[in-house]
Amino acid sequence: MIRHLFKLIWNQKKSNFLLITEIFFSFLVLFAVLSFGIYNYHNYTKPLGFTYDNVWQLWLNPQTDSTAHNLAVQRELIQRVKSFPEVEHASLSNSNTPFAFSQMNNNLSYGGKKDIQANVFNVQADYQKVLGLEVSQGRWFGPQDKASLHKPIVINQKLKEELFGDEEAIGKLLPINDSSQYAVIGVIDHYRSYSEFDPEEAAYFECINLDEEKSYFWNGLVMKVKPGAGVAFEEKMVRELSRIAKDWTIEVTTLEKMRQSKAKMTTVPMVALGLVCGFLVFNVALGLFGVLWYNINRRYAEIGLRRAIGASSKQIRNQFVGEVLVIATFGLLLGLLLAVQFPLLQVFQLSSAIYWESIAAAAFLIFLLATICAIYPSYQASKIYPAVALHEE
Amino acid sequence: MIQLIDIEKVYRTKTIETVALHRVNLHVERGEFVSIMGPSGCGKSTLLNIMGLLDEPTSGHVAIDGQPVKTHSDSKLAKLRNEKIGFVFQSYHLIYDLSVVDNVELPLLYRNVSGSDRRKRALEALEKVGLSARTKHFPNQLSGGQRQRVAIARALAGNPEIILADEPTGNLDSVMGEEIMDILLRLNQEEGTTIVMVTHDENMALKTNRLIRFFDGQQVADSRVLEAQI
Ligand SMILES: Nc1ncnc2c1ncn2[C@@H]1O[C@H](COP(=O)(O)OP(=O)(O)O)[C@@H](O)[C@H]1O
Ligand SMILES: [Mg+2]
Repeated sequence: MIRHLFKLIWNQKKSNFLLITEIFFSFLVLFAVLSFGIYNYHNYTKPLGFTYDNVWQLWLNPQTDSTAHNLAVQRELIQRVKSFPEVEHASLSNSNTPFAFSQMNNNLSYGGKKDIQANVFNVQADYQKVLGLEVSQGRWFGPQDKASLHKPIVINQKLKEELFGDEEAIGKLLPINDSSQYAVIGVIDHYRSYSEFDPEEAAYFECINLDEEKSYFWNGLVMKVKPGAGVAFEEKMVRELSRIAKDWTIEVTTLEKMRQSKAKMTTVPMVALGLVCGFLVFNVALGLFGVLWYNINRRYAEIGLRRAIGASSKQIRNQFVGEVLVIATFGLLLGLLLAVQFPLLQVFQLSSAIYWESIAAAAFLIFLLATICAIYPSYQASKIYPAVALHEE
Repeated sequence: MIQLIDIEKVYRTKTIETVALHRVNLHVERGEFVSIMGPSGCGKSTLLNIMGLLDEPTSGHVAIDGQPVKTHSDSKLAKLRNEKIGFVFQSYHLIYDLSVVDNVELPLLYRNVSGSDRRKRALEALEKVGLSARTKHFPNQLSGGQRQRVAIARALAGNPEIILADEPTGNLDSVMGEEIMDILLRLNQEEGTTIVMVTHDENMALKTNRLIRFFDGQQVADSRVLEAQI
């Protein structure tokens, strides 16, 4: 019977061409949208490597250009922040705090590995406690670093693998410039702070040294507050800090808020795409339904004949559902020809698992859609009275 | 073989009620070649549809080989049609997207028959109707007479005990009509296939063993009954 259906559809390929094309395009659109969705979902389920609850973020914007003065004020600010009983830990940072719209990169080289790009995070030692970072090898920054010859860094596992592969990372030296070197003192498993929907990138932490002569101004400040610290504390803190840093602008936000606004960057386009895709698929479904309906009316006599030569009404229904699935298969096969190029040629550098999953899910959805559209018209076809269908004047 | 007992068929639409068959009693015996004649609209097709289990009578009974079919399920009726009955229609009812041999295979598709066996039996049936040279053609490449021969081959492929033919020569000129009639006669005489044929052609009807005349939904004459009376 299946061969019969394939033959029937093949011989009718002209009249089924439109449907096959529609299925083909729907499959490709579904494949694209699902790839995007599944990619994001995969990333979302991966560990972030830090916790963001009860973490607040201050943005410090001095109005004057006098660096020396600003640095002095900054030192005072961080001391004051730490002295609030509501604050458990606090750390200055560059502007690339978790979920911020800011990234800093540096290229590292080790042996044959040249110019490995990595995100660099300048933080104070308390940053670990603010974000609950867990060191899996070696250690985090500590007072002993003051005496060290080289600039200590803590790297994430991804950077470790890119630079050193299976080799031990702790103690490795990396050139900064002609005169100085980084020394790897610790490895953390994960640090994926740009967005929940982005993949983890190579990253390393460098310790801020406020005592350095040519120190830099750090405009981020993150703090872990005690549970229950709320608006009242926020107002009190800003008031007090403004007294220290006169005419600076100090903005307060939470990592939770930043997480949400960052997530919107992905979820809003995803929902929009999903809606467009849903609308498209709905249209295709309507088209499919209409064409089926038309086909069944056109093939009235054929239905009567098949009943006369021994098809039960159930077999008629199955035949029409089967035909739709065969049409869907033709459209899918065409779509597959294109879609498999993505995992095979490694387009866009997504892992091929994501493409295969999307292909499977898109194919499943197409078959589901085709079946749903086919059931009612096919049921109607099965209810046609053979004597009426064969009636000739 | 097929027995119709007190058959009544009424078509009801919103506005009118048509009595298509009224008190029809008919027993078609195995091996008979029955022709049915009557003016257009007198219920001949309706009768054939009821005999062929394509339609249900409004009242009365149909029995096949002595078995009443009234309580049969849809799939059991389909099985009976598939195995015992072959249909031939005035307008052939071929599937134009399928080749000649695929059309002929159709009844076997609804049975458990292997693909190669199907093909073999279809080719045998086509040989019986003299179309061995046209198996790969499509119906629209054939003449009317050839199309009707394909339809007969399709009926034969299922190896039925009875063929129900509704004006099989109605769309054909007399030469092609004769060819079709010859095939049917040969089937009846050589293979003992029971045939019930509706026709408007008196000459063809006279070649059969039994002629039944219909008028307005009722049997008005049955040659077998007449012979018995003489
Ligand atoms: N499906 C139907 N609905 C209503 N009336 C019908 C239907 N089929 C046949 N009839 C009517 O029943 C009568 C017998 O029709 P039919 O058996 O086709 O006659 P014949 O084959 O002798 O020309 C006609 O009056 C016809 O109009
Ligand atoms: Mg008729």
